[in-house]
Amino acid sequence: MKASRGILIGPAAILAALLAGLLLSAPTVRAGEVTLLAGAGLRQPTDVLVARFEERTGHRVRTSYDGSGRLLARIRASGEGDLFMPGAFFYIEHLQSDGRVRSVRPVAAHTPVVGVSRERDEAEDIQTFEDLARPGVRIALGDPEAMAFGRTAREILRRAGLEEEVLRNVAVHGGTVKQLALYVARGDVDASIIGRADAFQLRDRIRIVPIPPAWFQSETIAVAVLDSTRQPDVAKRLSAFLASNEALAVFREFGFLPLEG
Amino acid sequence: MHRIFILPLALLALLVLGVLTALFLPLSVEGALRAVTSPEIRFALQLSLVTSLAATAVAVLLGVPSGYVLARRSFPGKAVLDTFLDLPLVMTPLIAGVGLLFLFGRHGLGPPLSRWGIHVLFTPLGAVLAQAFIAAPIVTRSARAAFDSLSPRYEWAGQTLGLRPAQVFLQVTLPMARQGLLSGTVLAWARAVGEFGATLMVAGATRFHTETLPIAVYLNITSGEVETALSAALILMIAGFAMVLLLKAIGDSRPETAAGGPPP
Repeated sequence: MKASRGILIGPAAILAALLAGLLLSAPTVRAGEVTLLAGAGLRQPTDVLVARFEERTGHRVRTSYDGSGRLLARIRASGEGDLFMPGAFFYIEHLQSDGRVRSVRPVAAHTPVVGVSRERDEAEDIQTFEDLARPGVRIALGDPEAMAFGRTAREILRRAGLEEEVLRNVAVHGGTVKQLALYVARGDVDASIIGRADAFQLRDRIRIVPIPPAWFQSETIAVAVLDSTRQPDVAKRLSAFLASNEALAVFREFGFLPLEG
Repeated sequence: MHRIFILPLALLALLVLGVLTALFLPLSVEGALRAVTSPEIRFALQLSLVTSLAATAVAVLLGVPSGYVLARRSFPGKAVLDTFLDLPLVMTPLIAGVGLLFLFGRHGLGPPLSRWGIHVLFTPLGAVLAQAFIAAPIVTRSARAAFDSLSPRYEWAGQTLGLRPAQVFLQVTLPMARQGLLSGTVLAWARAVGEFGATLMVAGATRFHTETLPIAVYLNITSGEVETALSAALILMIAGFAMVLLLKAIGDSRPETAAGGPPP
Protein backbone atom coordinates (compact mmCIF):
# COMPACT_ATOMS: atom_id res chain seq x y z
CA MET A 1 0.00 0.00 0.00
CA LYS A 2 2.75 2.35 1.01
CA ALA A 3 4.81 1.44 -2.04
CA SER A 4 1.98 2.07 -4.48
CA ARG A 5 1.39 5.49 -2.99
CA GLY A 6 5.09 6.27 -3.44
CA ILE A 7 4.86 5.32 -7.09
CA LEU A 8 2.06 7.83 -7.62
CA ILE A 9 4.04 10.80 -6.31
CA GLY A 10 6.27 11.06 -9.39
CA PRO A 11 3.52 11.28 -12.04
CA ALA A 12 1.44 13.50 -9.74
CA ALA A 13 4.32 15.96 -9.41
CA ILE A 14 4.82 16.03 -13.17
CA LEU A 15 1.11 16.60 -13.72
CA ALA A 16 1.14 19.42 -11.17
CA ALA A 17 4.12 21.02 -12.89
CA LEU A 18 2.42 20.82 -16.29
CA LEU A 19 -0.77 22.32 -14.87
CA ALA A 20 1.16 25.14 -13.23
CA GLY A 21 2.91 25.79 -16.54
CA LEU A 22 -0.42 25.99 -18.36
CA LEU A 23 -1.88 28.36 -15.78
CA LEU A 24 1.18 30.62 -15.87
CA SER A 25 1.26 30.82 -19.66
CA ALA A 26 -2.46 31.48 -20.00
CA PRO A 27 -2.51 35.24 -19.15
CA THR A 28 -0.35 36.13 -22.17
CA VAL A 29 -3.29 35.54 -24.49
CA ARG A 30 -5.80 37.55 -22.45
CA ALA A 31 -7.75 40.06 -24.55
CA GLY A 32 -6.92 43.77 -24.39
CA GLU A 33 -3.36 43.32 -23.12
CA VAL A 34 -0.26 44.67 -24.87
CA THR A 35 3.45 44.56 -24.11
CA LEU A 36 5.46 47.80 -24.28
CA LEU A 37 9.25 47.42 -24.41
CA ALA A 38 10.77 50.76 -23.43
CA GLY A 39 14.27 52.16 -22.90
CA ALA A 40 15.30 52.13 -19.23
CA GLY A 41 15.87 55.90 -19.32
CA LEU A 42 12.21 56.53 -20.23
CA ARG A 43 10.78 54.71 -17.24
CA GLN A 44 9.49 57.62 -15.11
CA PRO A 45 7.20 59.34 -17.67
CA THR A 46 6.22 56.01 -19.23
CA ASP A 47 5.01 54.62 -15.90
CA VAL A 48 2.77 57.66 -15.39
CA LEU A 49 1.38 57.50 -18.94
CA VAL A 50 0.76 53.77 -18.91
CA ALA A 51 -1.19 54.07 -15.64
CA ARG A 52 -3.37 56.80 -17.19
CA PHE A 53 -3.96 54.73 -20.33
CA GLU A 54 -4.97 51.67 -18.32
CA GLU A 55 -7.33 53.68 -16.16
CA ARG A 56 -9.06 55.31 -19.13
CA THR A 57 -9.32 52.38 -21.53
CA GLY A 58 -9.47 49.35 -19.23
CA HIS A 59 -6.76 47.64 -21.29
CA ARG A 60 -3.72 46.23 -19.57
CA VAL A 61 -0.18 47.21 -20.55
CA ARG A 62 2.81 45.11 -19.54
CA THR A 63 5.92 47.29 -19.54
CA SER A 64 9.45 45.97 -19.75
CA TYR A 65 12.39 48.37 -19.29
CA ASP A 66 15.98 47.69 -20.31
CA GLY A 67 18.81 49.16 -22.36
CA SER A 68 17.48 49.82 -25.88
CA GLY A 69 20.13 47.59 -27.47
CA ARG A 70 19.18 44.65 -25.27
CA LEU A 71 15.48 45.22 -25.98
CA LEU A 72 16.22 45.21 -29.70
CA ALA A 73 18.10 41.93 -29.34
CA ARG A 74 15.13 40.50 -27.42
CA ILE A 75 12.56 41.55 -30.04
CA ARG A 76 14.70 40.10 -32.82
CA ALA A 77 15.37 36.82 -31.04
CA SER A 78 11.81 36.22 -29.82
CA GLY A 79 9.86 37.59 -32.79
CA GLU A 80 7.33 38.87 -30.24
CA GLY A 81 6.17 42.13 -28.66
CA ASP A 82 3.52 44.76 -29.39
CA LEU A 83 5.20 48.15 -28.98
CA PHE A 84 8.82 49.33 -28.81
CA MET A 85 9.92 52.74 -27.49
CA PRO A 86 13.75 52.95 -27.41
CA GLY A 87 15.89 55.90 -26.31
CA ALA A 88 17.09 56.59 -29.87
CA PHE A 89 15.53 56.27 -33.32
CA PHE A 90 18.48 54.23 -34.56
CA TYR A 91 17.08 51.10 -32.86
CA ILE A 92 13.72 51.43 -34.64
CA GLU A 93 15.55 51.82 -37.96
CA HIS A 94 17.12 48.42 -37.36
CA LEU A 95 13.68 46.82 -36.96
CA GLN A 96 12.35 48.76 -39.97
CA SER A 97 15.03 47.23 -42.16
CA ASP A 98 13.95 43.81 -40.85
CA GLY A 99 10.37 44.67 -41.92
CA ARG A 100 9.13 44.31 -38.34
CA VAL A 101 7.52 47.75 -37.91
CA ARG A 102 3.86 48.53 -38.67
CA SER A 103 3.86 52.23 -37.80
CA VAL A 104 6.01 54.80 -35.99
CA ARG A 105 5.10 58.01 -34.11
CA PRO A 106 7.55 60.55 -32.67
CA VAL A 107 7.29 61.21 -28.91
CA ALA A 108 9.95 63.59 -27.56
CA ALA A 109 13.62 64.54 -27.80
CA HIS A 110 16.38 62.85 -25.84
CA THR A 111 18.94 65.64 -25.48
CA PRO A 112 22.52 65.02 -24.33
CA VAL A 113 23.96 67.40 -21.72
CA VAL A 114 27.02 67.48 -19.51
CA GLY A 115 25.92 66.37 -16.04
CA VAL A 116 28.30 67.80 -13.41
CA SER A 117 28.45 66.45 -9.87
CA ARG A 118 27.43 68.84 -7.09
CA GLU A 119 29.11 66.49 -4.63
CA ARG A 120 32.69 67.29 -5.65
CA ASP A 121 34.50 70.56 -5.00
CA GLU A 122 36.82 69.76 -7.89
CA ALA A 123 33.83 69.79 -10.25
CA GLU A 124 32.88 73.36 -9.36
CA ASP A 125 34.97 74.92 -12.10
CA ILE A 126 33.39 72.84 -14.86
CA GLN A 127 31.32 75.60 -16.46
CA THR A 128 31.54 74.85 -20.18
CA PHE A 129 31.79 71.76 -22.33
CA GLU A 130 35.45 72.55 -23.09
CA ASP A 131 36.28 72.26 -19.36
CA LEU A 132 35.92 68.48 -19.70
CA ALA A 133 39.23 68.51 -21.56
CA ARG A 134 41.19 70.05 -18.66
CA PRO A 135 43.80 67.70 -17.18
CA GLY A 136 42.72 65.92 -13.98
CA VAL A 137 38.97 65.99 -14.58
CA ARG A 138 37.37 62.58 -13.88
CA ILE A 139 34.75 61.59 -16.47
CA ALA A 140 32.37 58.68 -16.95
CA LEU A 141 31.20 57.91 -20.51
CA GLY A 142 28.84 55.36 -22.02
CA ASP A 143 30.29 52.47 -23.99
CA PRO A 144 30.21 53.76 -27.60
CA GLU A 145 28.71 50.57 -29.00
CA ALA A 146 26.48 49.42 -26.18
CA MET A 147 24.37 52.50 -25.44
CA ALA A 148 22.77 55.37 -27.31
CA PHE A 149 24.43 58.19 -25.34
CA GLY A 150 27.79 56.45 -25.59
CA ARG A 151 27.59 56.73 -29.36
CA THR A 152 26.30 60.31 -29.15
CA ALA A 153 29.10 61.31 -26.74
CA ARG A 154 31.83 60.12 -29.14
CA GLU A 155 30.16 62.01 -32.00
CA ILE A 156 30.04 65.21 -29.91
CA LEU A 157 33.70 64.87 -28.92
CA ARG A 158 34.69 64.33 -32.55
CA ARG A 159 32.79 67.42 -33.72
CA ALA A 160 34.21 69.47 -30.85
CA GLY A 161 37.72 68.30 -31.75
CA LEU A 162 38.32 67.32 -28.11
CA GLU A 163 38.25 63.53 -28.49
CA GLU A 164 41.84 62.89 -27.42
CA GLU A 165 41.88 65.24 -24.41
CA VAL A 166 38.50 64.15 -23.01
CA LEU A 167 39.05 60.41 -23.56
CA ARG A 168 42.28 60.75 -21.57
CA ASN A 169 40.13 61.89 -18.62
CA VAL A 170 37.69 58.98 -18.76
CA ALA A 171 37.82 57.01 -15.50
CA VAL A 172 35.09 54.53 -16.32
CA HIS A 173 32.70 53.39 -19.04
CA GLY A 174 29.13 52.37 -18.22
CA GLY A 175 26.51 50.22 -19.89
CA THR A 176 23.40 52.30 -19.22
CA VAL A 177 22.80 56.02 -18.79
CA LYS A 178 21.37 55.44 -15.29
CA GLN A 179 24.67 53.84 -14.21
CA LEU A 180 26.54 56.96 -15.39
CA ALA A 181 24.05 59.24 -13.61
CA LEU A 182 24.59 57.27 -10.38
CA TYR A 183 28.38 57.75 -10.57
CA VAL A 184 27.91 61.52 -11.07
CA ALA A 185 25.25 61.82 -8.35
CA ARG A 186 27.50 60.02 -5.84
CA GLY A 187 30.49 62.18 -6.76
CA ASP A 188 32.59 59.21 -7.86
CA VAL A 189 33.31 61.13 -11.07
CA ASP A 190 33.21 64.87 -11.84
CA ALA A 191 31.02 64.71 -14.91
CA SER A 192 29.48 62.62 -17.65
CA ILE A 193 27.58 63.06 -20.91
CA ILE A 194 24.06 61.90 -20.06
CA GLY A 195 20.46 62.67 -20.99
CA ARG A 196 19.00 66.02 -19.96
CA ALA A 197 16.15 64.11 -18.30
CA ASP A 198 18.55 61.92 -16.27
CA ALA A 199 20.36 64.99 -14.96
CA PHE A 200 17.09 66.87 -14.36
CA GLN A 201 15.61 64.04 -12.29
CA LEU A 202 18.66 64.19 -9.97
CA ARG A 203 18.95 67.98 -10.07
CA ASP A 204 19.82 68.43 -6.38
CA ARG A 205 22.96 66.37 -7.03
CA ILE A 206 23.67 66.97 -10.71
CA ARG A 207 24.19 70.36 -12.37
CA ILE A 208 23.43 70.70 -16.10
CA VAL A 209 25.98 72.26 -18.44
CA PRO A 210 24.52 72.55 -21.96
CA ILE A 211 26.45 71.32 -24.97
CA PRO A 212 26.81 73.81 -27.88
CA PRO A 213 24.04 72.92 -30.38
CA ALA A 214 26.45 72.80 -33.32
CA TRP A 215 28.04 69.66 -31.90
CA PHE A 216 25.05 67.38 -31.53
CA GLN A 217 21.63 66.38 -32.74
CA SER A 218 19.09 65.28 -30.16
CA GLU A 219 18.05 61.66 -30.34
CA THR A 220 14.42 61.13 -31.33
CA ILE A 221 12.31 59.10 -28.92
CA ALA A 222 9.60 57.38 -30.96
CA VAL A 223 7.15 54.55 -30.42
CA ALA A 224 6.80 51.76 -32.97
CA VAL A 225 3.94 49.28 -33.32
CA LEU A 226 5.52 45.93 -34.17
CA ASP A 227 4.24 43.54 -36.82
CA SER A 228 4.18 40.81 -34.18
CA THR A 229 1.38 42.51 -32.21
CA ARG A 230 -1.65 40.36 -31.46
CA GLN A 231 -3.70 43.41 -30.44
CA PRO A 232 -3.21 45.88 -33.31
CA ASP A 233 -6.05 48.17 -32.25
CA VAL A 234 -4.97 48.48 -28.61
CA ALA A 235 -1.33 48.90 -29.68
CA LYS A 236 -2.30 51.65 -32.12
CA ARG A 237 -4.32 53.43 -29.45
CA LEU A 238 -1.47 53.31 -26.96
CA SER A 239 1.04 54.57 -29.52
CA ALA A 240 -1.28 57.48 -30.40
CA PHE A 241 -1.58 58.31 -26.71
CA LEU A 242 2.20 58.20 -26.16
CA ALA A 243 2.64 60.58 -29.10
CA SER A 244 -0.06 63.02 -27.89
CA ASN A 245 0.44 66.52 -26.48
CA GLU A 246 -0.73 65.25 -23.10
CA ALA A 247 2.07 62.67 -23.11
CA LEU A 248 4.61 65.30 -24.17
CA ALA A 249 3.61 67.43 -21.17
CA VAL A 250 4.40 64.47 -18.87
CA PHE A 251 7.72 63.87 -20.64
CA ARG A 252 8.56 67.57 -20.11
CA GLU A 253 7.80 67.29 -16.40
CA PHE A 254 10.62 64.74 -16.21
CA GLY A 255 13.10 66.93 -18.07
CA PHE A 256 12.66 65.80 -21.66
CA LEU A 257 12.35 68.43 -24.42
CA PRO A 258 9.92 68.51 -27.36
CA LEU A 259 11.19 67.58 -30.81
CA GLU A 260 12.06 70.58 -32.96
CA GLY A 261 10.05 71.49 -36.04
CA MET B 1 10.82 2.74 -8.45
CA HIS B 2 13.88 4.18 -10.13
CA ARG B 3 12.26 3.89 -13.53
CA ILE B 4 9.69 6.58 -12.72
CA PHE B 5 12.45 9.09 -12.02
CA ILE B 6 13.94 8.63 -15.49
CA LEU B 7 11.33 10.92 -17.05
CA PRO B 8 12.19 14.00 -14.93
CA LEU B 9 15.88 13.27 -15.47
CA ALA B 10 15.36 13.07 -19.23
CA LEU B 11 13.31 16.30 -19.19
CA LEU B 12 16.04 18.16 -17.29
CA ALA B 13 18.78 16.88 -19.57
CA LEU B 14 16.73 17.76 -22.67
CA LEU B 15 16.08 21.27 -21.36
CA VAL B 16 19.79 21.95 -20.76
CA LEU B 17 20.66 20.39 -24.12
CA GLY B 18 17.95 22.45 -25.82
CA VAL B 19 19.21 25.72 -24.33
CA LEU B 20 22.82 24.95 -25.31
CA THR B 21 21.80 23.96 -28.85
CA ALA B 22 19.67 27.07 -29.28
CA LEU B 23 22.54 29.23 -28.04
CA PHE B 24 25.39 27.77 -30.00
CA LEU B 25 23.76 26.38 -33.15
CA PRO B 26 23.74 29.78 -34.90
CA LEU B 27 27.46 30.09 -34.18
CA SER B 28 29.71 29.26 -37.14
CA VAL B 29 33.06 27.63 -36.42
CA GLU B 30 35.00 30.37 -38.22
CA GLY B 31 33.00 33.08 -36.46
CA ALA B 32 33.61 31.54 -33.08
CA LEU B 33 37.33 31.10 -33.79
CA ARG B 34 37.60 34.69 -35.01
CA ALA B 35 35.87 35.97 -31.90
CA VAL B 36 37.83 33.77 -29.51
CA THR B 37 41.16 34.87 -30.99
CA SER B 38 40.14 38.56 -31.15
CA PRO B 39 42.18 40.88 -28.92
CA GLU B 40 39.05 41.87 -26.98
CA ILE B 41 38.04 38.35 -25.99
CA ARG B 42 41.65 37.33 -25.31
CA PHE B 43 41.99 40.32 -22.99
CA ALA B 44 38.71 39.46 -21.27
CA LEU B 45 39.78 35.84 -20.80
CA GLN B 46 43.11 36.87 -19.26
CA LEU B 47 41.51 39.46 -16.99
CA SER B 48 38.85 36.98 -15.89
CA LEU B 49 41.50 34.37 -15.05
CA VAL B 50 43.65 36.81 -13.07
CA THR B 51 40.81 38.50 -11.18
CA SER B 52 38.93 35.28 -10.38
CA LEU B 53 42.08 33.54 -9.09
CA ALA B 54 42.95 36.57 -6.95
CA ALA B 55 39.36 36.77 -5.67
CA THR B 56 39.39 33.04 -4.84
CA ALA B 57 42.68 33.43 -2.97
CA VAL B 58 41.19 36.28 -0.91
CA ALA B 59 38.05 34.22 -0.30
CA VAL B 60 40.09 31.23 0.90
CA LEU B 61 42.29 33.35 3.18
CA LEU B 62 39.18 34.87 4.79
CA GLY B 63 36.78 31.96 4.52
CA VAL B 64 38.79 28.98 5.77
CA PRO B 65 39.75 30.50 9.17
CA SER B 66 36.21 31.87 9.54
CA GLY B 67 34.74 28.45 8.80
CA TYR B 68 37.09 26.90 11.35
CA VAL B 69 36.04 29.31 14.12
CA LEU B 70 32.36 28.71 13.31
CA ALA B 71 32.86 24.93 13.42
CA ARG B 72 34.94 24.71 16.59
CA ARG B 73 33.85 27.56 18.85
CA SER B 74 30.47 28.30 20.30
CA PHE B 75 29.68 31.84 21.37
CA PRO B 76 26.54 33.94 21.86
CA GLY B 77 25.01 35.12 18.59
CA LYS B 78 26.81 32.48 16.53
CA ALA B 79 23.69 31.46 14.58
CA VAL B 80 23.01 35.11 13.74
CA LEU B 81 26.60 35.70 12.63
CA ASP B 82 26.54 32.53 10.53
CA THR B 83 23.38 33.64 8.72
CA PHE B 84 24.69 37.19 8.41
CA LEU B 85 27.82 35.98 6.60
CA ASP B 86 25.61 34.19 4.06
CA LEU B 87 23.80 37.40 3.09
CA PRO B 88 26.03 38.21 0.08
CA LEU B 89 24.79 34.94 -1.45
CA VAL B 90 21.12 35.96 -1.36
CA MET B 91 21.73 39.61 -2.30
CA THR B 92 21.11 40.43 -5.95
CA PRO B 93 24.69 40.86 -7.23
CA LEU B 94 23.75 44.26 -8.64
CA ILE B 95 22.74 45.39 -5.13
CA ALA B 96 25.96 43.97 -3.69
CA GLY B 97 27.73 46.07 -6.34
CA VAL B 98 25.86 49.25 -5.42
CA GLY B 99 26.68 48.59 -1.74
CA LEU B 100 30.38 48.16 -2.53
CA LEU B 101 30.23 51.30 -4.72
CA PHE B 102 28.83 53.31 -1.81
CA LEU B 103 31.26 51.79 0.72
CA PHE B 104 34.36 52.35 -1.40
CA GLY B 105 33.15 55.56 -3.06
CA ARG B 106 33.60 59.23 -2.46
CA HIS B 107 31.69 59.29 0.83
CA GLY B 108 33.12 56.05 2.19
CA LEU B 109 36.54 54.45 2.18
CA GLY B 110 37.54 55.91 -1.21
CA PRO B 111 39.51 59.00 -0.11
CA PRO B 112 41.52 57.37 2.75
CA LEU B 113 42.38 54.34 0.58
CA SER B 114 43.48 56.50 -2.35
CA ARG B 115 45.89 58.31 0.00
CA TRP B 116 47.57 54.91 0.33
CA GLY B 117 47.58 54.61 -3.45
CA ILE B 118 44.80 52.00 -3.44
CA HIS B 119 42.12 52.65 -6.05
CA VAL B 120 39.18 50.28 -5.90
CA LEU B 121 36.47 51.93 -8.00
CA PHE B 122 36.65 51.52 -11.77
CA THR B 123 39.80 49.34 -11.63
CA PRO B 124 40.50 45.60 -11.99
CA LEU B 125 41.04 45.62 -8.21
CA GLY B 126 37.36 46.55 -7.91
CA ALA B 127 36.49 43.47 -9.98
CA VAL B 128 38.55 41.32 -7.59
CA LEU B 129 36.77 42.85 -4.60
CA ALA B 130 33.32 42.30 -6.13
CA GLN B 131 34.12 38.67 -6.95
CA ALA B 132 35.68 38.01 -3.53
CA PHE B 133 32.63 39.47 -1.79
CA ILE B 134 30.43 36.88 -3.50
CA ALA B 135 32.96 34.02 -3.30
CA ALA B 136 33.97 34.32 0.38
CA PRO B 137 30.63 33.13 1.84
CA ILE B 138 30.82 30.01 -0.34
CA VAL B 139 34.26 29.15 1.03
CA THR B 140 33.20 29.95 4.61
CA ARG B 141 30.12 27.76 4.31
CA SER B 142 31.89 24.74 2.81
CA ALA B 143 34.89 25.11 5.13
CA ARG B 144 32.56 25.11 8.12
CA ALA B 145 30.83 21.96 6.84
CA ALA B 146 34.20 20.28 6.21
CA PHE B 147 35.50 21.08 9.71
CA ASP B 148 32.15 20.18 11.27
CA SER B 149 32.28 16.67 9.82
CA LEU B 150 35.78 16.23 11.27
CA SER B 151 35.86 14.85 14.79
CA PRO B 152 37.88 17.13 17.10
CA ARG B 153 39.35 13.97 18.62
CA TYR B 154 41.97 13.90 15.85
CA GLU B 155 43.08 17.34 16.96
CA TRP B 156 43.18 16.27 20.60
CA ALA B 157 45.30 13.29 19.59
CA GLY B 158 47.70 15.64 17.79
CA GLN B 159 47.95 17.86 20.85
CA THR B 160 48.62 14.91 23.17
CA LEU B 161 51.45 13.91 20.85
CA GLY B 162 53.02 17.31 21.51
CA LEU B 163 52.02 19.35 18.46
CA ARG B 164 51.42 23.07 18.95
CA PRO B 165 47.91 24.40 17.97
CA ALA B 166 49.20 25.88 14.71
CA GLN B 167 50.90 22.58 13.85
CA VAL B 168 47.72 20.69 14.64
CA PHE B 169 45.75 22.92 12.26
CA LEU B 170 48.29 22.72 9.44
CA GLN B 171 49.32 19.06 9.80
CA VAL B 172 46.14 17.38 11.02
CA THR B 173 43.01 19.47 10.41
CA LEU B 174 43.76 20.97 6.98
CA PRO B 175 44.88 17.72 5.31
CA MET B 176 41.87 15.85 6.70
CA ALA B 177 39.39 18.52 5.54
CA ARG B 178 41.14 18.78 2.18
CA GLN B 179 38.33 17.37 0.03
CA GLY B 180 35.63 19.64 1.41
CA LEU B 181 37.87 22.69 1.27
CA LEU B 182 38.94 21.98 -2.31
CA SER B 183 35.42 21.49 -3.59
CA GLY B 184 34.30 24.69 -1.83
CA THR B 185 37.21 26.55 -3.41
CA VAL B 186 36.35 25.29 -6.90
CA LEU B 187 32.71 26.30 -6.42
CA ALA B 188 33.78 29.76 -5.23
CA TRP B 189 36.10 30.10 -8.21
CA ALA B 190 33.29 29.15 -10.61
CA ARG B 191 31.09 31.79 -9.03
CA ALA B 192 33.89 34.39 -9.24
CA VAL B 193 34.52 33.71 -12.94
CA GLY B 194 30.83 34.17 -13.76
CA GLU B 195 30.28 37.20 -11.48
CA PHE B 196 28.70 40.08 -13.39
CA GLY B 197 26.32 42.39 -11.53
CA ALA B 198 28.62 43.51 -8.74
CA THR B 199 31.59 43.84 -11.10
CA LEU B 200 29.58 46.06 -13.46
CA MET B 201 28.83 48.59 -10.71
CA VAL B 202 32.20 48.61 -8.91
CA ALA B 203 34.64 48.22 -11.82
CA GLY B 204 32.48 49.58 -14.66
CA ALA B 205 32.40 48.27 -18.21
CA THR B 206 35.51 49.83 -19.76
CA ARG B 207 36.73 47.81 -22.73
CA PHE B 208 40.33 46.60 -22.38
CA HIS B 209 40.47 47.77 -18.76
CA THR B 210 37.77 46.21 -16.58
CA GLU B 211 36.28 43.96 -19.26
CA THR B 212 35.98 40.50 -17.72
CA LEU B 213 34.36 37.71 -19.77
CA PRO B 214 30.84 38.31 -18.36
CA ILE B 215 31.24 42.07 -19.00
CA ALA B 216 32.37 41.27 -22.56
CA VAL B 217 29.24 39.14 -23.04
CA TYR B 218 27.10 42.03 -21.75
CA LEU B 219 28.74 44.74 -23.90
CA ASN B 220 28.63 42.65 -27.04
CA ILE B 221 25.01 41.53 -26.60
CA THR B 222 24.03 45.16 -26.06
CA SER B 223 25.85 46.36 -29.14
CA GLY B 224 24.44 43.57 -31.30
CA GLU B 225 27.74 41.65 -31.66
CA VAL B 226 25.92 38.43 -30.90
CA GLU B 227 28.58 36.15 -32.36
CA THR B 228 31.32 37.65 -30.18
CA ALA B 229 29.04 37.53 -27.14
CA LEU B 230 28.14 33.89 -27.73
CA SER B 231 31.78 32.95 -28.23
CA ALA B 232 32.71 34.61 -24.94
CA ALA B 233 29.78 32.80 -23.32
CA LEU B 234 31.02 29.53 -24.84
CA ILE B 235 34.43 30.00 -23.21
CA LEU B 236 32.71 30.81 -19.91
CA MET B 237 30.59 27.71 -20.17
CA ILE B 238 33.49 25.42 -21.09
CA ALA B 239 35.39 26.84 -18.11
CA GLY B 240 32.33 26.28 -15.92
CA PHE B 241 31.90 22.72 -17.21
CA ALA B 242 35.56 21.93 -16.56
CA MET B 243 35.27 23.34 -13.04
CA VAL B 244 32.15 21.34 -12.23
CA LEU B 245 33.83 18.19 -13.58
CA LEU B 246 36.82 18.93 -11.37
CA LEU B 247 34.43 19.38 -8.46
CA LYS B 248 32.80 16.02 -9.17
CA ALA B 249 36.21 14.34 -9.45
CA ILE B 250 37.20 15.75 -6.07
CA GLY B 251 33.91 14.58 -4.58
CA ASP B 252 34.26 11.07 -6.02
CA SER B 253 37.85 10.63 -4.87
CA ARG B 254 36.70 11.14 -1.26
CA PRO B 255 38.22 8.22 0.67
CA GLU B 256 35.90 5.48 1.92
CA THR B 257 36.78 6.10 5.56
CA ALA B 258 34.46 9.00 6.32
CA ALA B 259 36.22 11.98 7.85
CA GLY B 260 33.95 11.86 10.89
CA GLY B 261 34.77 8.25 11.69
CA PRO B 262 36.33 6.95 14.89
CA PRO B 263 39.92 7.93 15.63
CA PRO B 264 42.58 5.31 14.95
